[in-house]
Amino acid sequence: MIAHAVFFYLFSFIAIVSAIMVTAARNTVHSVFFLILDFISISCLFIMIGAEFLGMIMLIVYVGAVAVLFLFVVMMLNVAQQKNQWFGSAKSSSHIPVGLLVSFIIFFELIIVVGGWKYKPDLLNSSTIIISQTTTNTHSLGNVLYTDYIHLFQISGMILLVAMIGAIVLTFREREGLKRQSYIKQISRERKEGVQIIDVPSNKGVKIDV
Amino acid sequence: MMNLDLIFPEIFLSLAIMSLLMIGVFKKNSEKLVYNLSTIILVILLALVINLFSIDETFVFNESYKIDNLSIFMKSLIIMVAIFVMISSFSYVKSLNILKIEYPILILSSILGMMIMISSNDLIIFYLGLELQSLALYVLASFNRDNILSSESGLKYFVLSALSSGLLLYGCSLVYGFSGSTNFTTIATTSSNIEYGVTFGLVFIIVGLAFKISAVPFHMWAPDVYQGSPTSVTLFFSALPKAAALTVFIRFLYIPFVNLIEQWQTILIFISLASMLFGAIAAIGQLNLKRLIAYSSIGHMGYALAGLATGTNQGIQSSVTYISIYLVMTLAFFSCLFMLRKKSIFYEKIEDLSGLSSNHPILSISLLIVLFSLAGIPPLAGFFAKFYIFMAVIEQSMYFLAIVGLLSTVVAAFYYLRLIKIIYFDDPKGKFETDHYFGLKVTLAISTGILALYFIYPGILNELVSKIIII
Repeated sequence: MIAHAVFFYLFSFIAIVSAIMVTAARNTVHSVFFLILDFISISCLFIMIGAEFLGMIMLIVYVGAVAVLFLFVVMMLNVAQQKNQWFGSAKSSSHIPVGLLVSFIIFFELIIVVGGWKYKPDLLNSSTIIISQTTTNTHSLGNVLYTDYIHLFQISGMILLVAMIGAIVLTFREREGLKRQSYIKQISRERKEGVQIIDVPSNKGVKIDV
Repeated sequence: MMNLDLIFPEIFLSLAIMSLLMIGVFKKNSEKLVYNLSTIILVILLALVINLFSIDETFVFNESYKIDNLSIFMKSLIIMVAIFVMISSFSYVKSLNILKIEYPILILSSILGMMIMISSNDLIIFYLGLELQSLALYVLASFNRDNILSSESGLKYFVLSALSSGLLLYGCSLVYGFSGSTNFTTIATTSSNIEYGVTFGLVFIIVGLAFKISAVPFHMWAPDVYQGSPTSVTLFFSALPKAAALTVFIRFLYIPFVNLIEQWQTILIFISLASMLFGAIAAIGQLNLKRLIAYSSIGHMGYALAGLATGTNQGIQSSVTYISIYLVMTLAFFSCLFMLRKKSIFYEKIEDLSGLSSNHPILSISLLIVLFSLAGIPPLAGFFAKFYIFMAVIEQSMYFLAIVGLLSTVVAAFYYLRLIKIIYFDDPKGKFETDHYFGLKVTLAISTGILALYFIYPGILNELVSKIIII
């Protein structure tokens, strides 16, 4: 139990510190790296409470795809060197009050949600849902996804296929005059195709007056 | 074991899409092959869907997918029109240099989305079908990516459609939250009109659906998108998604929300009135034929919704009849539009029609039939479509709706007749080419033939529709 608490506080501490560093880091690339660290520690927290599917999906989707995409965008737009001035600058930025207002509203909403959950437990009636302790989340998700909802799963696959075709159709341009290397062509080339022997008659060349 | 043979058409279409993709990727210069193969696949699909006809109402996948006669009828209608869309627009697609392997594949995936939408009996599966359908349409709208108008229309359609999808999802989540289920049948039993949350959700869902069929006041995307997209794509999405969305409208209003009829009837009457009036009045000043047909389709959707607003069996039947005839009229009109070609440039201004009759008498006659039919002049098919709608509306003694509908028909007749005047009485402006692709000629002949000869036996569609829709 002690080890559990130690790991919980460790991951929470890393998550909170890296979340602050995302906004406080001066270099945008560093911000993205702190974001990745944040995602990883939160997925560790998910795994610790038994939501292993959510944690792994978080790792695959957010770290593997979204954060890498962010990195690409940051590198392509070349904003890495831009100094952001949220903290510690002499000029106070104009969007700090708006950001503070929004975060206070979110904070109060969180208090209301947590308070309702704490003092009115029958508000969210989840006691009827039977949670099996023996099967994992991944198993129980797979049990419904590939049986009751198999048609929805397949149709979603078709939608993704259409989206992929659409993206290729609208952006792919075949480049003109591109010379590609073909190994088959190179290997199967024979002497008679490449070399031509020309019988040069003597005394018929360019005459040079001496 | 589930009845997998009931969803065999959908499985076949998905597999066909993937195999076509493989053929297109691994075989060089296979654009034409893939295009023709996808037309053949649509023909096979039509046979597979019709094969299921006249079965009892059956549910698959935990009652989330419904196979009944209405869904089979709408699916076969959509696939039939799609076959004609494919064969009539081939020469256009080719000469615009947008014939890539992805073009027919995207059309097929959009049709797959529509089939899923039509059969859905569940909020989630309905939404997934809708997204599959419209995602393919966004790409198709901007398929001619070097053209700035086409790119603009694709982007506009994407952004506005995403907004409406957001509203739709919000509505769906409200309905789910207050009724406790995503299944249409369960929602109908648990929701009563006391719960305001469900009513709220209903309003948002109607807004999202009205956007998809471009009914006023959610029509603002239609004219720009219709004008900017390649004409073959405009034909595709002025016809097929509307039929699919109208079916979903019928499903939503008459299965989960049938107890809330007092709430949605007023909304539908308003949308219908506004669409009819706006479609009639705003089209008058247009100079581009594609923009004109956009406003005209807004008006036509108003009439189709008027049938739904009655809340009776007869009203739904008249709406389904209306949308079927509307699809044929759209097909015929765009086939005429594909024929206005000179040196592989396609003309789409109204002034280009000037004096068409002196050089192209047959094309002018077909255009005359189409325009009279769109205006609803007897004895053409468009008249019967409007006639059934007004009959259903008057039977419910909704006289105001009927009167406004008739008045806007008169206003709309003005601009259709103006086009005919330009074709027949203005000075000729030079010849168009006449060596058209065979499929285009066949499409025009069949669709105008249906429009002109419908009056001989108008009961044929009516009997079919009254057999399939029993609520």
